[in-house]
Amino acid sequence: MAVLNITYNGLSADYPLDVRVALSDADVKRIAVEVVRAGGLRGLSVPDLRADAFDNFVVDRFDGGERIYLRPKVPFG
Amino acid sequence: MRIVFCGVGALGSTAVWFCRNLSASSDSAQPGRRTQAQLVFVDFDRVESKNVMAQAFVKASIGKNKAEALKAQMLTFFGVKAEAFGVRLEATNVETICASADLLVDAFDNVKSRAMLSEFSRAKDKPLVHAALSGDGTFGIVRWDERFAPDAEDAEGQATCEGGEHLPLIGVLGSSLARVIQDFAKDGTRRDVMVSLRSVTTTC
Repeated sequence: MAVLNITYNGLSADYPLDVRVALSDADVKRIAVEVVRAGGLRGLSVPDLRADAFDNFVVDRFDGGERIYLRPKVPFG
Repeated sequence: MRIVFCGVGALGSTAVWFCRNLSASSDSAQPGRRTQAQLVFVDFDRVESKNVMAQAFVKASIGKNKAEALKAQMLTFFGVKAEAFGVRLEATNVETICASADLLVDAFDNVKSRAMLSEFSRAKDKPLVHAALSGDGTFGIVRWDERFAPDAEDAEGQATCEGGEHLPLIGVLGSSLARVIQDFAKDGTRRDVMVSLRSVTTTC
């Protein structure tokens, strides 16, 4: 089972992803919108989250795709 | 151990602050002997008054080159000697400045410089750790080069958190970077960290 970590508005939480197919970045972002809207993440619930809220976010994959991170861009130092 | 900090703005200068007592304990030629790590700062920019709100510079440093100012502050406040290069790090001078480094630290604020440093690091097999911050100052990462790809701004000249509103998170991220550097200096451990408003998480 993969774990999707979503960071939004400075808050970050894990969500277990029980899927057996490879997810595209667009799939990950679409799932994240639904999860955050539905309150599926502890402490990170935004019922009226915009559908394009994660359009400019980045998807990182580690551990052979078992750990997926959806996060804001980090261009600054 | 010679540690070259490339970019000493918000994250770079803050991390340096927390590296002031870093010992080069990985020196296998002299086990058990504490020697101060050599700290080197590279930055072409100058300290502006707004930088004092979000970076580790004091008012007396306003107007000075950031690398030189940080070097002077480290000596004045802590008695720590460092080197400074007040230049823009580019493909034409990276070999000169970074060839003798045992560790490169990227705290730049643009894709071009980050990519150039990664290319040098990979070509020369130099350890490189990156630190990067979101534009709204609510999130950041510390990540080793083998797992890092630089992010571009959403729009050129995008507003940043330099007004100081998110200084506490910059402090946590900068000190997390310093801890990652400390771990590497101690035994070569390469840890990645993710910092949000809620937590500091080791991701690798």
